[in-house]
Amino acid sequence: MAAPCSKIVSRPWWQFIKNVGWTGLNQTVVRQLSRNNACGAAAQTKSKTERIPSQWKLHGAVCLQRLPVISQERNPIEDQFAELIHQMELERSLVSEHELRLLEDAERVRRKQAEDYDSDEEAEYGDQETITALDQEDAWEQKLKKFQLAPRVSDLEDDHQSVGRCLGDSLVLLTEETLGQEKVWLLPQVPWQAGETLRQTAERALNSLPEADFKATFLGSAPCGVYRYKLPKAVRTESCQGAKVFFFKALLSGHPPPSQNGPFRWVKKSELPDYLKPAYLEKVNRFILDL
Amino acid sequence: MSLAVSRTLCKIFSRQTTTPSSFGIGGDCHVRGPWFASVLTLKTSAPLRAEPKKKKKVDPRREQLVRERLKKKLKKLEKVPPELIPIEDFVTPTKCMDETRVRSSPQLSFEESERRALLLKEWSRYKQTQHQAEMEAVGMAVEAQREALEQLRLESEELYQAALRPDPLLFPFNHQGPSYTPPKAQYEAPEGKYNNITKVYTQ
Repeated sequence: MAAPCSKIVSRPWWQFIKNVGWTGLNQTVVRQLSRNNACGAAAQTKSKTERIPSQWKLHGAVCLQRLPVISQERNPIEDQFAELIHQMELERSLVSEHELRLLEDAERVRRKQAEDYDSDEEAEYGDQETITALDQEDAWEQKLKKFQLAPRVSDLEDDHQSVGRCLGDSLVLLTEETLGQEKVWLLPQVPWQAGETLRQTAERALNSLPEADFKATFLGSAPCGVYRYKLPKAVRTESCQGAKVFFFKALLSGHPPPSQNGPFRWVKKSELPDYLKPAYLEKVNRFILDL
Repeated sequence: MSLAVSRTLCKIFSRQTTTPSSFGIGGDCHVRGPWFASVLTLKTSAPLRAEPKKKKKVDPRREQLVRERLKKKLKKLEKVPPELIPIEDFVTPTKCMDETRVRSSPQLSFEESERRALLLKEWSRYKQTQHQAEMEAVGMAVEAQREALEQLRLESEELYQAALRPDPLLFPFNHQGPSYTPPKAQYEAPEGKYNNITKVYTQ
C-alpha cells in the first residue's frame, strides 16, 4: 500500500529534478519519499505495537466513597454571619400573622389589667376562654421536646472500621493487602484480565472484597487517576517492568450494615497519610475531594 | 276592505229586491234581502277570520334559517380569547400591602453598624479563600483524570476507547443530600392525610 503511493507522488518530483538539477532538492525528495514511507508504514508500526505486549501490568482499583450524611459543624465566622443575616432579615421583614396575634393578646391583657376595665367592650369575643398565641407556642414547644432526634455525633467516631463514623465528612474505603513481603494499605485493586474493560475490573475488585456487599454506583467508565510503580530490580523481567493501577470512583448507595469484619478501614481525607505510602498518597490525594 | 265590499253588495241587493221573499234567513235578513245574510256570514265565517294559509314546506325552512342565524351570533360572542392564567408568584397578596404590618426599623448604633460592615467584609474574604480552594481541588482532579487517560492510551487503544464511551445507566442519578441530624433507624412516620390545596386554573 505504501509503495505505489510513493511512486505516484514522486514521479513529478523526479521530473522536476531532472529539469532543474540535483542540488538541494535531493534531500527534499528523499525526505518526501521517506515521509511517504513513514505514512504508509505507520499503519504497520501501529499494528506492531499492538502485537507487542506492553511492559506494564494493568490493575483496576476502586475508590469507594461514602458521602456525608449530616451537615458539618459551623466555623465561628460562619456562626457569626448566620446570626447577623438572621437579624437583618428579621429587621427588613413585615409583621406576620402570628406576631400580630401576639400583639393583640398583649393589648388585651393590658386592657384587662387597667383600672377602667369595661367587660362590655369585650362582648364581641364571646367566651373569654380563647386560646392565646402564647399558649399555642408553649404547646408546640412541648411537642418538639417529646420528639427524639438521632444524635449528630455518634459513639463510632474512633472506630475506623464502621461506616457510621464522622457523618459530616466523606469517607474512603481502604483494604490491607500483602505485596511481596509487606502488608500495605491500599484502595481495593485487582489485576486486569484480558477481555474486560477496566471499569469491569474495578467492579470485580469491589465484589471480590471478602464479607462485604457494598452497593455502589460507578461514576462513568473513565479512570480518575493512575499510579505507576516499577517493580524492584530483582523481580523485574523483560515483559513485566512494573504495574499501572487505574482508579475508578464509586459512591456508596443504600445503607450498608453498620460494622463489617475484615481488613477494611473507612478513612477521612485528613487521616489518609496515616495509612498510605507517600508516593501512593500523592497520586491518590489529587482525585479524592473533601468538599 | 271586506266590509266595504259587503256594504256595496248589500246596497245592490236591497235596490234589486223590493218584494218580500219567503226565504227568511236570520232576523234582519228578511228586510234587506236574501244575499245579505250570505255576505254577512262571509264576513264572520272561520276561514275569513283566520290568517291566509301558508305552504307547509316554507315554515320549517324559515325556522331553520332563524335558528342558524342565532347560533352564528352565539358563536361570535363565544369567540372571546381565553383568560390568561395568573402567575401566583408575581401577584403581591393584599396582606402584604397592609400598613399595620410594617415593622418599625430599629436605630442602629454606630458600633453596631461598624461591626456589621466589618463582619460582611470578613465573610467575603473567607468565602473567596474557600472558592479558591474548591477551584484548585477541582483542577487537580481534572488533571489527574487527564493523566490517567493519557497513560491508558499508551497502554492500549481499545481500553482507551472503552473508557471514553458514555455510561447510559448512570443517569438519572439520585442521591439524598446531608440533613442536620442523621436518619433514625427503624423510625415509623405517623400516618396522615395529605390535602393538596393548590389552585388549578382551566382555560
